[in-house]
Amino acid sequence: MKAALIGAGAIAKQHLSCLKTLPGVELAAVCDLSPAAAEAAAERYGVRSWFTDHRAMLEKARPDVVHVATPPTAHFGPAMDALDAGAHVIVEKPAAPALGQVEALVKRAQDSRRHFVEDYNYVFNQAPQEILRRIESGEFGAVTHVEVLICLDILGPDGFADPNSPHPALKLAGGAIADFLPHLASLAHLFVGPHRTAQTVWTKRKSSVLPFDEFRAVVAAERGTAALGFSANSQPDAFWLRVYGERMQASANLFETRLTFDGPRNAPKPLRPFFSGLEEGKTIRRAAVATLLRKFKGAGAYEGLWELLGRTYRALADGSALPVAASQVLEVNRMVEALKPKERSS
Amino acid sequence: MRALVTGANGFLGRHVVAALLARGIGVRALVRPAARLEGLGWPSSVEVFRADLRTSRGLEGAFEGVDVLLHLAAVVSGGEDAQFAGTVVGTERLLNAMAASACQCLVLCSTLSVYDFSSARRVLNEDSPLHTAPDVYARDGYTISKWWQERVTRRSAEKHGWELTVLRPGFIWGRDHGYMAALGQQFGRHHLVIGPMTRMPMTHVENCADVFALAAAHPRARGRTLNIVDGPGERIWTYLSDYMRGSGESGWRAPVPYGLAISAVRLAHATIFRRATKVPSILIPRRFESRLKPLRFENRRLRETLGWTPPLDYQQCLARTYGPAPSTAIECDSRRNNAHLPKMSEERTVEA
Repeated sequence: MKAALIGAGAIAKQHLSCLKTLPGVELAAVCDLSPAAAEAAAERYGVRSWFTDHRAMLEKARPDVVHVATPPTAHFGPAMDALDAGAHVIVEKPAAPALGQVEALVKRAQDSRRHFVEDYNYVFNQAPQEILRRIESGEFGAVTHVEVLICLDILGPDGFADPNSPHPALKLAGGAIADFLPHLASLAHLFVGPHRTAQTVWTKRKSSVLPFDEFRAVVAAERGTAALGFSANSQPDAFWLRVYGERMQASANLFETRLTFDGPRNAPKPLRPFFSGLEEGKTIRRAAVATLLRKFKGAGAYEGLWELLGRTYRALADGSALPVAASQVLEVNRMVEALKPKERSS
Repeated sequence: MRALVTGANGFLGRHVVAALLARGIGVRALVRPAARLEGLGWPSSVEVFRADLRTSRGLEGAFEGVDVLLHLAAVVSGGEDAQFAGTVVGTERLLNAMAASACQCLVLCSTLSVYDFSSARRVLNEDSPLHTAPDVYARDGYTISKWWQERVTRRSAEKHGWELTVLRPGFIWGRDHGYMAALGQQFGRHHLVIGPMTRMPMTHVENCADVFALAAAHPRARGRTLNIVDGPGERIWTYLSDYMRGSGESGWRAPVPYGLAISAVRLAHATIFRRATKVPSILIPRRFESRLKPLRFENRRLRETLGWTPPLDYQQCLARTYGPAPSTAIECDSRRNNAHLPKMSEERTVEA
């Protein structure tokens, strides 16, 4: 299967590194507006050809799958062109700035019998997948509520808040935080399903080029509720996922490998907190070592992206169901739309 | 003669501006839109052009009336991708703008890091082997981006028939930049000194800036590639002593022979970190060598080509780095040169 990539920036490295390890995948072409960026990516990852015009790449390389890893405001055109060229498309999140564009891409994919996949990488990290396994086995009980809170300092001058060069994500409704909404929505969707209503609070605590630096939401969904949040001011950096079930509760930090469960145990009720605390301490110590080792090799916190790409290519090869379905893309993006601010901060 | 200087308010750039003015060369300083210029003491003859090489449009305007480009801008912090975007993509955009101008001459600030230290034997000079693709991608982000910056610049110069001078400085040091990566590994206040008797390829920022100003106007610099070191360099142990004395830092120093240290790093890399993809630079043998390998560095070609000798000797450099703040060359020279330099226009900013 021939793979091609458009947009050779930071996240492209994760895509290309992973694709090099997948059996039966040929890295056919890479494209970037910068000739140096395109050529460097091709040299580094052994990609057969490089281009600075994605249409020329689609015409000459004829890829089966196209990865779109351009800035979020520049996904739509290349993704649509790739679908029109007969390729499946894997697009980085957020798939497009407007829900209508996502719906158009999904429809085009369905009309041309191609697949359109948005990268929900954290859904495929080990922790959410282990929680999902326990839910499906019945051990966890039905999920009543999920909390997802990202604490990440994006106010530094080198990234989203660069005072010299406006980050492309600032064009999204909600600014830089909007870049993270698909993570929050895809995890909420995984555990409690499509949303029905959402109430949001968008605020700004510090002076910066960002329109907002804090976000909270309460979501009523088909199978439960969700509390979602992003804080650019709370430190240290963390990606908390907490899932509440009828029999168990799970807590994970997706920037690390930490995952703890609390549930029924064979001990007198007054002693349950004591034994739970001991077990949680042991699990966290093990996770501390695993997190350190994870830094030395492989995908690190992007383990979910590698898992998602592996499953996607296997499904494309054998014709089975994709790990991210078109219906999921639409439902997650409808939730994202409901989470966006209604008007920009002054 | 007028020079466009990118990265003009950086550590090296501000001294290059001073050195150009001292030689009577007019300066247009290209700085980022949010750069703070207070305290630089630039005379009114220095024209400021605000733009970000990564995104600003209208870079062509920076080249109006310019005879030579001194390209010093590079992103040296942040991740590998941020460095590549800032240093390499920024250079592509700058050179595209130059191609649309009448400017035909440029001086690029490269680095000794483009040499393959692992292949070099005893002496490192302009004839030593450079990194090659794809091996270069196993190096750190700074090396990759500077190697690529030189590559795209050479290609552009060849394509457009420009006169290119590539200058490759060693470790640049000076006031507020006294610590160098060649000093070994720092643990808080304490230092692991690897190969304490090794001489470092160092150049004081004012000496280095003098070479750039000289090369900007020197006809023999055209088409040449020159390494910049002030001389054979100080031994690590000696300079570290001067650094700690000058900066007032206290802490212990533990000397480790280079051969022992590189053997330990190679052993760890072959065993513990064999399959690791993300390891601190100091634990990767090739990166370790590029920082610390004991080689002899020389500036023979620089001296022979441009007839250059460092204006400041080591003791003077120490005094200007760690002593009382000197009255900067730019203040003295601006008084001296303002009379014959044309008054330039107001500050200009191009849109992003």
